[in-house]
Amino acid sequence: MNKNQSTRRDFLKVTGSASAAIAFPTIIPSSALGNATTPPPSERIVVGGIGLGNMGGGDMGAFLNNKSVQYVAVCDVRTGVRNGAKDRVDKHNNNKDCTAHTDFREMLAREDIDAVHIATPDHWHGIMVIEACRAGKDAFCQKPESRTLREGRLMVEAARRYGRVVSGGSQRVLEDYRALVRQCWGGELGPIKSINVNVDPLSQPCNLPPQDCPADMDWEMWLGPAPWAPYNSKRCDGNFSTSGNSWRSYTDYSGGGMTDWGAHHFGGATYVVDVRELQPSEVIYQNEGGKRFLTFKYPNGILLTHNMPGKGNMQVEGTPGAKREAKTIPEYAAKGGISADFIECVKTRGKPFRDIEYAVNTVAVCHLGIIAYTLGRSLKWDAAKQVFIGDEEANRFLDRARREPWQL
Amino acid sequence: MLDQAFETLKTYDWGMDPNVLRPITDAIVKSYGDAAARKDLETRLIAVLKSEAPRAAKDAVCRALQTIGTAESVPALAALLPDEKLSHMGRHALERIPAPEAGQALRDALPKVAAKLKVGIISSLGVRGEAASVAPLQTALADSDAAVVSAAARGLGAIGIPDAAKALASAMPDPKTKAAIDGALLECAEDLLAAGKKPEAKAAYGKILAGKPSKHVELAANLGIKASS
Repeated sequence: MNKNQSTRRDFLKVTGSASAAIAFPTIIPSSALGNATTPPPSERIVVGGIGLGNMGGGDMGAFLNNKSVQYVAVCDVRTGVRNGAKDRVDKHNNNKDCTAHTDFREMLAREDIDAVHIATPDHWHGIMVIEACRAGKDAFCQKPESRTLREGRLMVEAARRYGRVVSGGSQRVLEDYRALVRQCWGGELGPIKSINVNVDPLSQPCNLPPQDCPADMDWEMWLGPAPWAPYNSKRCDGNFSTSGNSWRSYTDYSGGGMTDWGAHHFGGATYVVDVRELQPSEVIYQNEGGKRFLTFKYPNGILLTHNMPGKGNMQVEGTPGAKREAKTIPEYAAKGGISADFIECVKTRGKPFRDIEYAVNTVAVCHLGIIAYTLGRSLKWDAAKQVFIGDEEANRFLDRARREPWQL
Repeated sequence: MLDQAFETLKTYDWGMDPNVLRPITDAIVKSYGDAAARKDLETRLIAVLKSEAPRAAKDAVCRALQTIGTAESVPALAALLPDEKLSHMGRHALERIPAPEAGQALRDALPKVAAKLKVGIISSLGVRGEAASVAPLQTALADSDAAVVSAAARGLGAIGIPDAAKALASAMPDPKTKAAIDGALLECAEDLLAAGKKPEAKAAYGKILAGKPSKHVELAANLGIKASS
């Protein structure tokens, strides 16, 4: 807690881009070099999947259908999900070769695997992405990419240090807000002053009663770095509820709607107003008659509000009549959505649309907001040093201790 | 309301409505800047921690002390560190309490706990980033348990000061610990570079390259050598 990390980040910003380019002749797998319509398996990107329930199953389908991908391994802590995923891959590949793992580290140890996609509960994302980078794998990680602010910073550092292509997982950032991006980036609304995001709720403490753990669930591995707690089906259900019936509802595993849909909406908002590369410098907390809302101030003057009374979701305030120079709008590197963008960047060592730094900057907004709401006060944020200014107590929320043996 | 919540906390167990503790978390928020009120809250929380309260209750106390704990809380939290069930939640608070006594308690516990709990304590020491932790982590680099060695390496990498780099450079990696030691050396070298200590950074990168690292590590080290030349 007494280290100034900003300079390490600066160094990695310089070398990160260089390493991706220089990596091509030394690291790029031979499988990445094929570009035929349907390359033979030996020339495809070799992929494994971790966490293959709702979102992971969907992601798996997208990767299986990508002709540049050879899908070879699955990992899940639930036997039924794991076996089902293996069967699906084997059927697709017309063989029985897909390996099935409970422990993701076994998968990362396979030298033939080039990239992994991760769709576990959020409390696992940071560790898995960082371990993938350490193992020399590229990674596609579902949103929200980090569970804490410190985790996010370390994920970016790991990606840059090891020259890895790491993509976040919110497809909605580009696909839901394209029209609004065109308006704003095209200059139609003039210089942008603010944008509002409406999303709820925050996650809550969980104290569900113990239940018998099903035989096909590795409960210790599901909990992983989170505090130990007894099994309860609602605690670990992967449905999309944030009101008590899934892990998305509870603070040990998720930031609730604020990070879950927040990753989409805040990601879209920061794209629309073109602050993807920045983090806010201030969070202003307001409580008017019990209605709580926030204003995030960016260093360039842009305001991002959360649940601002009277404002709609993604409502933009521009400067009517004023001119703004149009800018080229970034797009995916390949047709086929966000997973295809990732695979294309794995081949070319390019920067994915949802590069991990953009994704982490988005989730940082969510985390900063949660901390401001939790403490009930405004906060000043030093994005370069990744610390709150003049608020020792807020700095205690930058991270949380991981249950042994897990470590970042 | 607050008194009732503290009374309930004494027997708080899995399955009870967490909202019964809400008055305590509300009091924590409201008492910001009120030293006397905070001291009163901390004293009452410590009392529960020292009692025979259920595990869920002590978990809740550790979460509260993560926010408001001071050096006063450290002895009661430190007592949890050797307990396999409560060690993590003890660290949950100790890792985030800025008082130097918290770091010292973690260092004091390190040689006294089982290997699995050592890994956790080492992780917390790395996050705290105190220079005083370099020596005990260097000792842990010589542990017979590869998990402890790898954790110690990562802890030193997180601390990232010149002494941490020296400790890592003197480590004797084996196939199980080499990746962690190389990665930690990379982190230290980045911090050395950032601090303008180019010769020391270059030496750290050189140490990595001399050990025939994996290709992606070799690339990172070569880039570092270039940056430190």
